[in-house]
Amino acid sequence: MLQKKNYSAVLYHIIICLFGFVMVYPLAWMIMSSFKESNTIFATANHLIPDKFILDNYRNGWKGFARVGFGTFFKNSFFISTLATAGTIASSAMVAYGFARCEYKGRKILFSLMLVSMMLPAQVLMIPQYLWYQKLGWVGSFRPLIIPYYFATQGFFVYLIYNFIKGVPRDLDEAAVIDGCSKYGIFGRIMLPLTVPALITSGIFSFIWRWDDFLSALLYINSSNMYPVSLALKLFSDPSSSSDYGAMFAMATLSIMPCMIIFIFLQKYLVEGIATTGLKG
Amino acid sequence: MKKRTLLVCLILVACTALWAGGKAEATAAAGAKANLTVSWWGNQQRNEITQNVIDSFMEANPNVVIDGQFNEWADYWNKLATSAAGNALPDVIQMDYKYINQYETNGLLLDLAPYIKDGTLDLSNIPESVSSVATEGDKVYGMMIATTAPALLYNKNLLDSIGITVKDHMSIDEFITIAREVYKKTGIKTNIDYGDSENYLDYYMRSKGHILYTDGGLGVPSAQEFVPFFRIYEEGIKEGWMVSPSIFVERVLRSVEQDPLVYGSSNDARSWCAFFWANQIPATQKAANAEKFEVGVTNWPSDNHKLSNYLKPSQFMVISSKSKNPREAVQFLNYWLNSETAGSYLLCERGVPVSSKVGEHIAPMLDEINQKVVKYINTVVAPKSSPVNPPSPIAANEASRLLGSLREQVCYGKITAEQAAQQFFTEANKILAK
Amino acid sequence: MQHTTTSPGLSAKKFFYRDDVAGIIFSLPFIIGFFMFIIVPMIMSLGYSLSEYNILSPARFIGLKNYIKIFTDDPLFYKSIAVTFYYALVSVPLRLAFALLVAMMLKQTTKATGLYRAVYYLPSIIGGSVAVSILWKRMFASDGVLNRLLAVIGIQTDFAWLGSTHTAIWVLIILSVWQFGSSMLIFLASLKQIPVTLYEASWVDGAGKWKQFTRITLPLLTPTIFFNLVMQMIHGFLAFTQCYIITQGKPLNSTLFYMVYTYRQSFEYFNAGYAAALAWLMLIIIGLITSLLFLTKRFWVFEGEE
Repeated sequence: MLQKKNYSAVLYHIIICLFGFVMVYPLAWMIMSSFKESNTIFATANHLIPDKFILDNYRNGWKGFARVGFGTFFKNSFFISTLATAGTIASSAMVAYGFARCEYKGRKILFSLMLVSMMLPAQVLMIPQYLWYQKLGWVGSFRPLIIPYYFATQGFFVYLIYNFIKGVPRDLDEAAVIDGCSKYGIFGRIMLPLTVPALITSGIFSFIWRWDDFLSALLYINSSNMYPVSLALKLFSDPSSSSDYGAMFAMATLSIMPCMIIFIFLQKYLVEGIATTGLKG
Repeated sequence: MKKRTLLVCLILVACTALWAGGKAEATAAAGAKANLTVSWWGNQQRNEITQNVIDSFMEANPNVVIDGQFNEWADYWNKLATSAAGNALPDVIQMDYKYINQYETNGLLLDLAPYIKDGTLDLSNIPESVSSVATEGDKVYGMMIATTAPALLYNKNLLDSIGITVKDHMSIDEFITIAREVYKKTGIKTNIDYGDSENYLDYYMRSKGHILYTDGGLGVPSAQEFVPFFRIYEEGIKEGWMVSPSIFVERVLRSVEQDPLVYGSSNDARSWCAFFWANQIPATQKAANAEKFEVGVTNWPSDNHKLSNYLKPSQFMVISSKSKNPREAVQFLNYWLNSETAGSYLLCERGVPVSSKVGEHIAPMLDEINQKVVKYINTVVAPKSSPVNPPSPIAANEASRLLGSLREQVCYGKITAEQAAQQFFTEANKILAK
Repeated sequence: MQHTTTSPGLSAKKFFYRDDVAGIIFSLPFIIGFFMFIIVPMIMSLGYSLSEYNILSPARFIGLKNYIKIFTDDPLFYKSIAVTFYYALVSVPLRLAFALLVAMMLKQTTKATGLYRAVYYLPSIIGGSVAVSILWKRMFASDGVLNRLLAVIGIQTDFAWLGSTHTAIWVLIILSVWQFGSSMLIFLASLKQIPVTLYEASWVDGAGKWKQFTRITLPLLTPTIFFNLVMQMIHGFLAFTQCYIITQGKPLNSTLFYMVYTYRQSFEYFNAGYAAALAWLMLIIIGLITSLLFLTKRFWVFEGEE
């Protein structure tokens, strides 16, 4: 019996690892290439491990552009992503709760509006949004990249948390009401703790999406010392003359780090939700 | 309740943080300083160089504060158009021949003529053929800032090793003969201007005395005239010496490092030549160094070089018609064109400087490869050339996509050269007529 | 379930404690956000779709001409719609299937699974950068990694996966599926919400792993599956980056995504009015498909206590 379990455990690990290697290979290629000499990257594309590990790409890449270094770019990215994520989680949780647990006129319409707002893509809203933000005087600052996220404008997160709240048994709500809780109290004391997995997931996604978004930065930020990393990375591959792929891969590798760290740090909070808290009485 | 108040507090703190942190661009204190924004596209090297020029201008003109804005090529046009829609164009804009017409016909560019008249913009060292490129009647809507020219770059070592010498001003037949021979002797193929561009067709049509894209339609009188052009591709694929179109999906287009001339793991993914521009020679040689060959330079094949060859404006600089500081903007432009200090930073990175004075000044500073560029332009192209075509109408972009698509179909063997010619003639005319 | 008080002076407070008022207050961020940030640009873009607009000059109203042109004079419209439908309808189910499978395998939170989750999620983080496009082109090139791998297991080939109209779209589909990590994460979080007690009870009753999966897990997951399906469908139809950074529609437009075509019309040809019409048409299509999905909801989605 024990041997059988060991076999299946070993098999499990082998399959997961093999598949995992396939998943990770492209990224491993990029990371390894960042340690190769820039102009040999493609010539040695089929050899994963570099003959010689060099750090030149990191040095060159970090210098950045026109005296704005990647230190500044990373700082900007952190600033934008963190603030926008905080706003996203807070506002999306609120709105999701309103949709899931409250009855009021127009709820269904609002919900549909939220879904519809996800169906128009950035490419087409670009120009009208730019003109609108211009009217608000926000062009040239970080505001268009942060403030809208405090207003639950991304239906994806609202819907995600909404789904989770729907999965929480109403008995808990009712018990809380009997104890004298208002809708607001239920939200703060019961819903928020119980939907932690959804909030964590939203946080991870939101951070990474904001981190990778370069289109908003392109349109609304003019000074190069306010560029986030996602926009700065593109500057390595301008076709007007030599592209420094080594530096680009090096900075891209560094760029993944924060997202990776956030993920690793937060994913251990994806713990059992309702099962452990349970009904106390 | 505590959790809620905490939440509310956090939100308030965040709000203040971002309102305060939402730094708007530094607006200068009212008074002496004039603010300019200058935009350009480029990578690490070019951004550094340009920033040096900007800094040295600001040193020489302490009353001007310049904010440099740069982006990558494709993003640059996206942003520029959007800014234009919002009347927020930068003051000084680096502009490309492909788009200049569109900005001009929509009234977005400042007329430089008054500034030339009063001497702010000094054109005394710039040949008329250069300064008059971006003009419409009396209006001068832009200034060429660097010159380049079509250049056929080839693998000199390879050709030497099989005993082929390339001479300047080749005819198309001579070119094809070389292509066949290279393929027969080494298995290396040929790549003719595959970059989704219309550049070679344009060049080819010039040799027949036509301008490819004109307002309202093609400047070519009949579909028949396109047949020989498409036939080159058709035959090349059939005979085997033309690279397969499939390799282009595997590469980053327009990146020098990924061009078949310098990159490709098997002979049939390689080309012995590349249809480039003269100012790309340094980047190409750098990539070729890893492959250990010397880059040879000659001009694109044509049956009438005097008509085909031209000096191409590598970039323009234009000034927004709504600039709040037009005079300072023009002063910057003037500095860019005429200052020897600026020239010593810019060298030939964007192309050959247009001012003869600056050209002379930087000549001793150029390294061997850049001297090659200058020599090629001055001795091979300039003597046997004719004026560059007027800027294309914006509909030309769509027509060029069509051209790329048809050429791709010919190369995949889906249609014949005649069919491609006919289709291009009818459809492109329709597109340009809009 | 209203909480009532009898003190008259607290009528304002009572107002806020009403169910429907509380609901509106909770929804306030979205209501404000919608009117501040979404509705105006949406209406403007609808206006553009009814105009001739070259971005650099003001728009000029032309009625439904753009829409008519889409259907009568634009072969690329039909081509890109076909490509996009194919892409969405193939990549979305594949993605979800992998996501669910891997989520099930990594359900337990152990040190090992923590690392594995990170590995499987890593591709999602990299997004759509230039680095990814270079990577992908490299891998599927005729001399690339895939062919070398095939050679290792005995299939000698130098097939250009990106160069053939039949396989190029699959390269993009594989890219999309490779980034299934985000869906996997959502499934993981949902799986955590299923009470362990249910599994324990069923185990006592003698249910095996498969029965547990089909009788407990799957039904309770249907809301999440539905969510993922709707979200991924929308993203699938609006897909842009994969095509834009890797193939730009090549070869022979066999990978031309609808949104890339729209973008081209807007920023390369300066036909922003026409592009807006294309986008609104796609919105209608997605809206219809989403509504269809919602209609099927009652047949297969477990709604919990309702």
